[in-house]
Amino acid sequence: MRFIVLFLLSLSSIAVLAGDEPLRLVLHDHKFTPGQLDVPAHVKFRLLVKNDSDSLIEWESDELDREEVISPGEERTIYLGPLDPGSYPFYDDRHSASKGVLIAK
Amino acid sequence: MTRSAAIAAALLLACSARADELRLVSPNEIDYRELEIESENSAATDGGRDYSLDLGAGVTRWWHLGAELEWEREAGPGNPTQLDGVQLESLIRLTEPGEGWLDAGFYSEYTRSDLHSRETPDDLLVGAAFLKDIGRTTHTLDLFLDRSFSPDEDVAGIRFSYAWQSRWNLWRQFAPAIEAFGQAGRIDRPGGFEEGQLIVGPVATGTVLLGPIGKLRYEAGYLFGATEASPAGTVRWKLEMEIPL
Repeated sequence: MRFIVLFLLSLSSIAVLAGDEPLRLVLHDHKFTPGQLDVPAHVKFRLLVKNDSDSLIEWESDELDREEVISPGEERTIYLGPLDPGSYPFYDDRHSASKGVLIAK
Repeated sequence: MTRSAAIAAALLLACSARADELRLVSPNEIDYRELEIESENSAATDGGRDYSLDLGAGVTRWWHLGAELEWEREAGPGNPTQLDGVQLESLIRLTEPGEGWLDAGFYSEYTRSDLHSRETPDDLLVGAAFLKDIGRTTHTLDLFLDRSFSPDEDVAGIRFSYAWQSRWNLWRQFAPAIEAFGQAGRIDRPGGFEEGQLIVGPVATGTVLLGPIGKLRYEAGYLFGATEASPAGTVRWKLEMEIPL
């Protein structure tokens, strides 16, 4: 019984998050910083996206099947992973010239 | 409004849904701060046709409301295409996308069917929508219960249906998928499962960005009948315009 409990606890800890600190992205002046962000492969992680502009943005990645509307001055957490190693483009759906890429390593 | 209150309101509103409509619901498709205009259609080799036009938007980050007009042509030769009903639909996202192991949502539809002096009954459909992202793939499973309100015992009853799609998120413009739509038939009387239908097949999906106008999502596929009661083939296509608000 103790083994089962420990096994379930270990599964839940894997499922929650890799690391306590979220990875950060900031959009300012229609530009994501950093434009290329290294993220851990094979684990779940949090991406904190801050909209440091004066207009609404919609962070979106078709490859990651995620979209998030973010008001001016607001921060939103996006839960991602586990990802295979590779590149995962993202963009601001309201201003599609604003884009970047996550590199899972 | 809390999610439980919204679920209760949706249940109260509900009173119907078309069992023959091919519906795939993602629990994360809320379209917050966007207006969604959607046309979803299918044409089967047995002559059956379904067309719908939907208008919806995310009321909050977790609650999507929509209204839909449906047209149907029943299977068989010479049947006319008629307005089949007006539908109110609600989707409540129950989980934050990707936070847990599985994403989940609660879906309900109420279809008012007597607008065209036809003797089709109203329906209530409620269901659970589940989604799991694995790497570049997205897997969606929907389980629905459909209650048809008719004085005719053969038409009335509770039916179980389901939908599944596994999609490879290859590129924005093109993401191939495999999907299945099934109707298990009536679950409230013996032998109901003999009416069961299952259609399975490949589908192409994708998104085209249209600048400040928004974006156009498409799905198009051909589904093969997998049971004796199913049509041999069904073409399904969907166009969805998302306009920023």
